[in-house]
Formats: sequence, structure tokens, C-alpha cells
Amino acid sequence: MPRGWPGATPPLLSPTVRRYLIAALALTFLSAACGSAGVPPEGVSELPPTDYAAMSALLAASDRPVVLNVWASWCIPCRSEAPLLRRAHEESGDRVRFVGVAVRDDQEAARGFIAEFGLVNLEHYFDPSGSVPGGLGAAGVPHTFFFAPGGHLVHHHAGVIDEGALALQIDELLGREG
Amino acid sequence: MEFTLLGAVAVAVVTFGVTLWFEAGRTNPAGSSRRLGDAALAAALSGLLAGRLAAMVAGGNDPLAHPADIVVVRAGVDTGFAALAALAVLALYARHNLWRTLDCLAPAALAGLAAWHLSGLFRGAWLGTSSSLPWAVAQEGSTVTRHPVEVYAALGLLLGALALHLWKRRTPLPGIVGAAALVVASGVRLGTEPLRLGLGSGPDWWYAAGAALGMLLLGWRLTRPQSKPST
Repeated sequence: MPRGWPGATPPLLSPTVRRYLIAALALTFLSAACGSAGVPPEGVSELPPTDYAAMSALLAASDRPVVLNVWASWCIPCRSEAPLLRRAHEESGDRVRFVGVAVRDDQEAARGFIAEFGLVNLEHYFDPSGSVPGGLGAAGVPHTFFFAPGGHLVHHHAGVIDEGALALQIDELLGREG
Repeated sequence: MEFTLLGAVAVAVVTFGVTLWFEAGRTNPAGSSRRLGDAALAAALSGLLAGRLAAMVAGGNDPLAHPADIVVVRAGVDTGFAALAALAVLALYARHNLWRTLDCLAPAALAGLAAWHLSGLFRGAWLGTSSSLPWAVAQEGSTVTRHPVEVYAALGLLLGALALHLWKRRTPLPGIVGAAALVVASGVRLGTEPLRLGLGSGPDWWYAAGAALGMLLLGWRLTRPQSKPST
């Protein structure tokens, strides 16, 4: 087999490069362990408390479809889906109501999360006992629920939601509206 | 926990591997599958990392403050940066015989991509914009019928993979099959993008750039004076 053919490629990484790569990986894990504690919650007001009964009443009274996202500041996947929710709100916040419920969290950390990801324009509530997702039959975070006007549950997405799924379910809600 | 994304990755990787295995000894050199698989794995992992980092930065999530978030690939991977990084790593890995390596990988890469798009069927992520065409499909509990956009993409990529496999049998000049694969992959994505639902403006220009680059490479390789194949 001639030199250079895919079957005879020489080793790509020398021992020195491998050592540097391992050192870089170790540094990454170290920085993860010493990661930032979050952004100060300046400019974000205290989140109003809620529970399942109060949230059910809010959903029933809503004349717009509602995207209800259950999150927590300590939840890594929630940090990753926050930018999607912000973009979705920017695009269809005038037709769909976006509600965030911070569960099993503390006020300062939850407000810091909202400040860090620019979610100040979304409607947020504080549910330290996790009563809202519990009442909706969900455990853990994140969860995203899609409600038609009047509070009829259309779709429940458990776990991190991606852009396509979020866009599809919002389009479904708006399609139902006619 | 749900593992549909992991399942989709597994389906794509298996399809890629089976295609490489099928082509070994037919249109690829016998015994080349392992090295080609290694090159593709290095390229795919690098692309995933670069794409995830780009998506985090674009979304306002600082990778230095939250490095553990990098592994949450479900939350988004920037396909443009991912493709660039994957191609760069592949070029580095296969630098001694880049064109032949690209030719060897091309049909398998398209088949793997087709499997990835088709896996949207079990991930619940295969429907696009609303449509009244006879084959449009409604999601469970809905009356809105939609384009099965990921099926369109998978069919386009599968046809591309088959065409390139047949073309490779005629042993064209090195690099032509690889360049054609770039045109097919970018073109299929560009063509189906208007039927996908997304949040805000899509990365269409990345796909247009990929198709243009593929066509430039194809033109360059086709008009080059013929030299002896390196095998």
C-alpha cells in the first residue's frame, strides 16, 4: 500500500502534542470545577411565587397560547435551551405567552439566571417546591409545556428542547388559533 | 432521560460504517475502512465540538464560565462551524492523500447524513412547514398537515450517495467524487431549508457557500490535466 493512502496514514499526533492535549483537557475540567457562580441579578425584580393551582388558573384565563418552561438555575440543560426561548419570544412573543417557572431554586440564583441569559422580557414565577411540574405529571427539569388558549395542554416536551421542536410546537399552537 | 438523539447518532454511524465496509474492495482499497473510519471519527468529533462552542457563544452562553454545557449537544450545534472544523481536521488527518481520502469517504458520508435525517422519524423531528400536498403528514393530535422535510432530505442524500458510488466505479480523477459530495450535501440542505421551521433567520448562506465551494472544487478537478492515479 503506497505511503499516504488512507490505509497507511502515519500517526497524526506526536507524544508531545498528545501531552499538550491532555493538559488542555485537564485545564478544561479544572475550570469547570471552578466555574463562575453566575451573574448578579441586577435589574431583575423578585419572582412572584406560584403553585399548581395558581398556574392552572393563569393558564385557564389566558386568551393566548402559552409556552410554559420549567427551569432551574442549577440545571445545565436549562442554560443551553434559554437562548432558544429568548429567540422564540423575540419572534412570536406578541402572539404566544412565554411563561417560565423556576423550581427548587433560590430567588437570587434564579434572578441571576434571568439576567445572564437576557430572559427579562419573559414572564417568570418562583415555585420552590416544584408544585407546578408535579401537578402536570412531570419530574426533574427542564420541561416545556404547550397550552392552547384556555389552558388545554397540547404538547409536553420532557428534557432539553431543540430549535426545530420548539419552532414546530409554537407553529402548531398558532395553527390551532387559525 | 430520553435517548432518541443518541439513537439517531448510532443509526447514522452504523449506516456510515456499513457503507464504508460495502465499498472496501469495490470502489475503495481493500482494508482501508478502519483508517477511513478513524479519519471520519476525528473529523466528526472536532466538528461537533466547534459547532457546539459556536452555538453556545451565539446564544450568549459563555463556554469558559460554563464548560460543562459543551457536552449538552442537544441544545444546539452550529452546522456551519461544525462542517468547517470537520473539513479542516479531515484535511489535516488525510494531508498525504487528501483527494483520494475525500473520494473514499464521500458516499458513506452522504449515506450517514441520510440516515441522520431519516432518524427524525423516531425523534419526532421530521415535519416542517404546513402543506396540503397529498403526502403531507400531521403530527399526533393535530389537524395541520406538514411537509415530511427530513424524509425529502434523506431521499436526496441517499440518491446522491448511490450516484457517487456508481460514478466512483468509473474511477474519475481524484477529488471529483469528494467535491460532488460537498455539492450534494450542501444543495440538499439548501433546497430543503425553506421547508424547515426555525427561530429567526436560518444559516442558509452557509449551505450556499458549501455548494459554491463544492462546485468550484469540482470545476477545478475536472479541468485539471489528467495525471496518474496515486494507487
